[in-house]
Amino acid sequence: MLQNFFAAESEVTPENIGEAIQQAIEIEIATIPVYLYTYYSIIRSPDQDAISGSLTQELVTVGKTPAEASAIALDLSAQIMVFANKAGALIMSVAIEEMLHMALSSNLKQALAGLPELVGKSPSVWPAYLPGHIPPFPIDRAGLSLNQLMTFLKIESPKPLPVRKQLEAPIPYKTIGLFYQMIIKCIEDYDLPYDLDSPQLLPNKGYYVQSNIDTIYYDRDHKPRYTNADDSGDLLYVKDRESAIHAINCIVEQGEGNPDAPGLNPDGSVDCGAIVPPDYDDPAREELSHFEKFAQVYCEYQTLTNRFNNLGIGVIDINEYFVVNVPTNPSTSKYPADIAAVSTLLNAVYTYIFVMVENCYKQSGSTQYEIFMFGIHKSMIFILNSLCGDIMQLSYLDPEDDTVYAAAPTFEDYPFGLVSSPKSQLVDLYYAAYPDGNYLEQRILDLPDVPLQYAGKF
Amino acid sequence: MAIINYNLNLTLCGGTPPAPSPANAQANVNPPIELHICMGLNACKGHDRTGANNCAGTGLCATAEQHNCQTLNNCHSQGGCGLYGDAKQQEAPGANDCAWQGSCAVPVQAERFSTFGANKGKSVWKLARKLFEERMIKANRNFGPAPFECGPPQAWLVSVLGSYDSCGNSGNKSCSFGYNNPADNAKELCEGKEE
Repeated sequence: MLQNFFAAESEVTPENIGEAIQQAIEIEIATIPVYLYTYYSIIRSPDQDAISGSLTQELVTVGKTPAEASAIALDLSAQIMVFANKAGALIMSVAIEEMLHMALSSNLKQALAGLPELVGKSPSVWPAYLPGHIPPFPIDRAGLSLNQLMTFLKIESPKPLPVRKQLEAPIPYKTIGLFYQMIIKCIEDYDLPYDLDSPQLLPNKGYYVQSNIDTIYYDRDHKPRYTNADDSGDLLYVKDRESAIHAINCIVEQGEGNPDAPGLNPDGSVDCGAIVPPDYDDPAREELSHFEKFAQVYCEYQTLTNRFNNLGIGVIDINEYFVVNVPTNPSTSKYPADIAAVSTLLNAVYTYIFVMVENCYKQSGSTQYEIFMFGIHKSMIFILNSLCGDIMQLSYLDPEDDTVYAAAPTFEDYPFGLVSSPKSQLVDLYYAAYPDGNYLEQRILDLPDVPLQYAGKF
Repeated sequence: MAIINYNLNLTLCGGTPPAPSPANAQANVNPPIELHICMGLNACKGHDRTGANNCAGTGLCATAEQHNCQTLNNCHSQGGCGLYGDAKQQEAPGANDCAWQGSCAVPVQAERFSTFGANKGKSVWKLARKLFEERMIKANRNFGPAPFECGPPQAWLVSVLGSYDSCGNSGNKSCSFGYNNPADNAKELCEGKEE
C-alpha cells in the first residue's frame, strides 16, 4: 500500500530524509508490476507465417496480384517480428533498471536512514498512482497499446506534463527527477551521517547485470541488438555525499535522461523527431533513457499501424498480431479457482523476492550472496518467469464483459502470515497449485528460507 | 501444512543433515566420470554421455545434468553460460565455482552467444572449447576435434535429446525473417565474428 508521505511542497530535511527516500523506493517499486505486466502481454516471437499468410489473402482480396501481395506481406510481417521483439526487449531493459533503481534507493536509505522497506509496497489498488506525483495520473496493468505506452511516457517524463488550458487552477507538477533533486539538495545542504556498517547491495558481485538475452532483440537481418549499454550504470556503495549523489544521478539519468532532454510536446503528443544527445543516459551514447526508449516504441508502433491502415484492408491495431488479450487490472480474487491457485503462488513468489531483498540488507558476505544468487536470481529468472509463462496458457470467461481473456500475472503482494515462515507458506501454495508437483517443485524447495523483516506488514 | 525449519540463521547451510549410509552399504564400484557441459569438452576417453568417445575433446555430449537456465546447475563446472550473468560468469562456460552459479543452459547449443563481458556477441561454445584446449595443453594432454566444429547445433540437440531449450524470451536465434540466411549467421558465429 502506497503511503501518503509529506505534502508536495515540503522540503526534504535531515528529519524526513528517511521518509523521502522510502517514498523514492516505493515510486520505483510501483513501476515494476506495470512494466512487467505489459511485457508479458507481448508475444515476442509471433508466427510470421500466419501473419504473412493472412495479410497476403487480404491484399489479394483488395486487388493486389499474388506476387505484390506476397512481397508486401513479407515486408510487413518481418517488421512486426522485429517490432514485437524490440518492444519486449526495451520494456524489459527498463524493468531491469527499475530494479536497479530500487536497489540504489535502498542502498541510499540504508546509508542514511536505516533498513529499506520493500515487502507489501507494490500498489494494492488499481489503477495505481505514483506516490506524491502532481498531478496524479492513473496507471493500469494493461497489455501493450499506444495508451499504455503513453502512461509509460508520463511515468518517465523529464518535463512537467502539459496542463490543460481550461483548468482554472493549474496544478503544479513535479517530475520524479525533481523529487530526487529535493533529496540531493538535502544531502548537499547538510552534513549527514553515513552508516558504513550496515550491508548494502554492492557492485562487482554479479547481483546486477544490465544486459541479458531478454533485453536483446533481433533486427530484420536477425542480428542481435542490445538495448542496454555496458556503461549505463551499476550498483553503487553509498558511503558519503559524493556516492549518494552519484547513485541518485544514475537513477534520474537512466529514467528521464539528461536534465535538458526533451519531453512530451506542449499538446501532450509524443515527439517522434530525431534522437538528440540528451536522450542518451550513458557516456558512450549507446543507451537511450527510459523516456526515449518508450518514445521510440510509441512512434514505431504508430508508424507501423499507419502502414497497415494505408493498405485498404480495414482498420488495424498492430497489437492484434502479437499482444495477448489480457484483462486490464485483474485481481486473483476474480480468477476461477484453478487459475487463482497458480496466480496466488505467482504472487507469493513475487512477494518473496522482496522478502529476500530486504534480508540482503540484514546480511553480508556469503550469506547475502547465497540469498541473492540462489534465491533472488533463481526466483526472478526461472521461477517467476516460468509461472508467468504458465499462467498465460490459461484462459477464462469474464462474466462482467462476457469476454474470454488469457490469465495474466497480477503481481499483487501476497500477505504472508506470521505463524510459519514465508517459505513454508510458499511451499504450501506450490502444492495447492500443483498437487502432483511439476518441474518447479525442486526449485521452490531449493529457495533459501528467510524471514519477514517487519512484523505485521500485511 | 508443510513444515520447514524456520531458519533464523538465514543460511542455506544447516537443517537436518542427510542420514549417513549404513556401514555395510555396498560401495559404488563404478568409477566416476568427469562431469562437463557439452560436446567436445571431455577430458578423457569414454567420458561423454554415451561413453563411446575414444579421445579427449571428441565426446558427443555433456555428462553434467541437462538444465535450461541460470542457477540450475548442480555443482562446480557444471553450468553453461551466455544468456544471463555478469562478465565473470559469462567468461567461464563450464568453469563456474559452485552449484547454482552457472549462468545458462547445459548443453551449449552452437547458436548461443554471450550477452555481456569480453565475449559479448561471440560464440559461447567456442569460448568453452578454447578454455578446454588451454586446460589440455597445460596438462600435456592430446585431444581430438569435436564432432561439430562449432558445437552442437540446436536442431541436432533436439534430434538427439528429444527436446532442448535454453531460457530467455528473445526468440529463436536460428530462425529467419525472410531477409537473412540463418546458415550464414551460424557460419559467422563459428568463424568467431561478433554477432
